[in-house]
Amino acid sequence: MKKYYAAIICGFGAGVLQIVPFVKSFSCCMILPLAAFVSLLLDQRATKNFDKIPMKKALLFGLFTGLFAALFGSVFEILITLITKHNDVIASFTDLQSIVHNLPLSEEIKKEVLNIFQSVREDILKNGFSVLYTFSVIVNNFIINSIFGSVGGLVGAQIINSRLTNQSNGR
Amino acid sequence: MKRSYSLILFFLLLFWCLGIFIEWLIKIDAHFVFALPYLQKTYSLVCHQDKSKLLFLDGAGTLTCARCTGIYLGLFVSSVLVLFKIPGWQLNIKILLIASVPMIIDVLLTTLNIYFYSKLIAFFTGLLLGSVGFFYLYNGLNNLILEYKR
Repeated sequence: MKKYYAAIICGFGAGVLQIVPFVKSFSCCMILPLAAFVSLLLDQRATKNFDKIPMKKALLFGLFTGLFAALFGSVFEILITLITKHNDVIASFTDLQSIVHNLPLSEEIKKEVLNIFQSVREDILKNGFSVLYTFSVIVNNFIINSIFGSVGGLVGAQIINSRLTNQSNGR
Repeated sequence: MKRSYSLILFFLLLFWCLGIFIEWLIKIDAHFVFALPYLQKTYSLVCHQDKSKLLFLDGAGTLTCARCTGIYLGLFVSSVLVLFKIPGWQLNIKILLIASVPMIIDVLLTTLNIYFYSKLIAFFTGLLLGSVGFFYLYNGLNNLILEYKR
């Protein structure tokens, strides 16, 4: 576990950036890959091992950064929803309604979609918890974050390794 | 890398990009509407989804901003190219850094209000980074496969 402290720290940071209101608006597709890259840099400093990073290690660090980001992100999101009884599902409900109404769909389908969303919304407003919402948050976070983290690890390791190659060529 | 791995990468990126344009797909098949709320949540993890920065056509919008859409389409375009010609060159990391410069400058200048945000500039700077970035991802995966084979 000690081996992955860097991944835990960066995963925590990325998880927070993805969830906390206001800070969230700055989030972009680069956050997780950057977090994986930083975790590789942090690990190099912590272990004082500045050798070329193997891709297996880069993938593992990226994957763990993504998994920790997903873990922290999911826990925070579920907790914030539970406490505030408000989240982006409730905030975006009117938007979704207008999107669905503007689409060329049959009234039956429109009603069905909005009913599903309405039941999730009501659960959150009443109890601060919805099984469907919680399930979608957990599945989404774990799949997307682990993929983006792994990509960041693989590309990040090449950036770090190229720097080492340049240094050794310069000597 | 074997062509089968390139194909897997191509299909993953194809589905990811199709997800961004789900509102267009709903016009083709209404049943896609059931995936809309779920996909909105999915893409919110990787994009701020600021409404003023989404791409709209014929009343349907993308699920990611112009810049992110450019990045993902760039990745997808390069994955198509790789299907026809497998790159054999050694990648220099400077190219990736140079490709990211226009995007970084655009982000900085629009954030500092030096000029107004343009969806077109955001899209094309993202497209440039995405299309170049794909080759580094490809190279990383290639090296990973070679490491596992050793």
